[in-house]
Amino acid sequence: MKKKSYKIKETLSNALELPKDLILDVAKVTLVGNNSVTVENHKGILEYNENQIRVNTCGGVLIVIGTKLNIKSIIQEEITITGEINSIGY
Amino acid sequence: MIIIRLWNFFRGYAIIIVEGLKIERFINMAISNGIYIWDIKKQSYTSISAKIGLENFGRMREIVRRTDCTIEIKEKRGLPFMWKNLKRHKLFAASVLILIVTIYIMCSYIWMIEVVGTKNIDPKTVLEIVNNEGLKEGVRKSQFDKHSIENRVLIKMSTLSWVGIQIRGTKATIEVVEKREEPELISKQDSCDIVASKSGIINKILVLNGDGVVKDGDTVKKGQVLVTGTIIRENTETRLVHSLAQITARTWYEDAEEMELQQIEYKETGREATHYMLKVLNKEIGLKKSVPYSEYNETREEKNIISFGDYIFPVKLISNKFQELVKVPKTLTIEQAKKRCEERLDERLKLQLSENAVVLDKKIVYYEEKKSVKAKITVEILEEIGMKKRIDGK
Repeated sequence: MKKKSYKIKETLSNALELPKDLILDVAKVTLVGNNSVTVENHKGILEYNENQIRVNTCGGVLIVIGTKLNIKSIIQEEITITGEINSIGY
Repeated sequence: MIIIRLWNFFRGYAIIIVEGLKIERFINMAISNGIYIWDIKKQSYTSISAKIGLENFGRMREIVRRTDCTIEIKEKRGLPFMWKNLKRHKLFAASVLILIVTIYIMCSYIWMIEVVGTKNIDPKTVLEIVNNEGLKEGVRKSQFDKHSIENRVLIKMSTLSWVGIQIRGTKATIEVVEKREEPELISKQDSCDIVASKSGIINKILVLNGDGVVKDGDTVKKGQVLVTGTIIRENTETRLVHSLAQITARTWYEDAEEMELQQIEYKETGREATHYMLKVLNKEIGLKKSVPYSEYNETREEKNIISFGDYIFPVKLISNKFQELVKVPKTLTIEQAKKRCEERLDERLKLQLSENAVVLDKKIVYYEEKKSVKAKITVEILEEIGMKKRIDGK
């Protein structure tokens, strides 16, 4: 049932060319250089270390790996991580 | 970002240290409760430091309890806490406030007046008139009208052609331009005679326009007509013309000087004393000490102590320096006295000579007396003596 509604939404957003992060509730990750990453539409943090931050999102767990990672700001919709970022992955 | 930081500063915030095993859960719960946390840093394996708004602090207790964390305030920052601190140090806060207000008030007064651009006029006379018009040291900037003072000073001092008052900081600069004394100009259309400005013997007379009355070698007196502009010819009507002529004449100048042989000179002994005083507004503060010497030279210096660029405040340090002098009686030889006489006579002669005068001959005669030497100087000068004078009455 859930999968079905997701597919409908996806085809709808494709057909109408609407931004997917709004309709599908998926995370939008913005990386600025290698020292700041912003994750929109997150579902909370799972792990926080100086070298690794795991952020829960709709499409899976986003892993940010780097050194001296700080959470610059965190609110319901958005999290900004600063520090030296080496890799981002799911 | 600076706006958010400023906002936080005004609202006040705390730096907290959270310790526990479920720190991630703590953060998640905080945000889901709508508590804004920022600048989260890992402190150690089980603790973080973060910043949190003051108004949210009370709501943290519930989360702390449910996540088994301990919370500790490390530092309180922002305006509300500074305000609290100030309340505790009321005297300090009040004195800072008074200082700021005093400086602000002082800045709106004039504390220094300077006169610029005077050549022959004494700056003090200008200053006096300006003072009378209402621009004094210690007057408020808003209390006088610059332009009306400028105008009134111009009216009162006919020797000035322009007055400008500039106010920069607490200093008023009065710029003046003096009128140049111009001789009465006689236009070419007006008829005029040429008269002698000094007595003497005509050396050379070159008449360009008008009728010459005197010849080379004539002795003339001051004010005598040399070239007349009234031309009388037979069979024609009398005409009036604008006379033009170059007239050089030999003139004499005499002067005398006396020099006493017994002179008293003052010499510095090298000993000196300096007295310091403070001058606030126009009042001098400090002990008036007596000068320890009977004969002395006094040099007075005033210095502004407090000034920020153009903002000068009326606190001055006055240093009076007294240099002890000692009387030394000195007897001049006749030669020395003669030399001094000559120097003085020469100085006075220089002031008397006009620009294009040539000294032809200079004679000094000395009369030696018992206690003094007298000198008499006679100088023969070649100079222009022609001076135009309007023919009146017609």
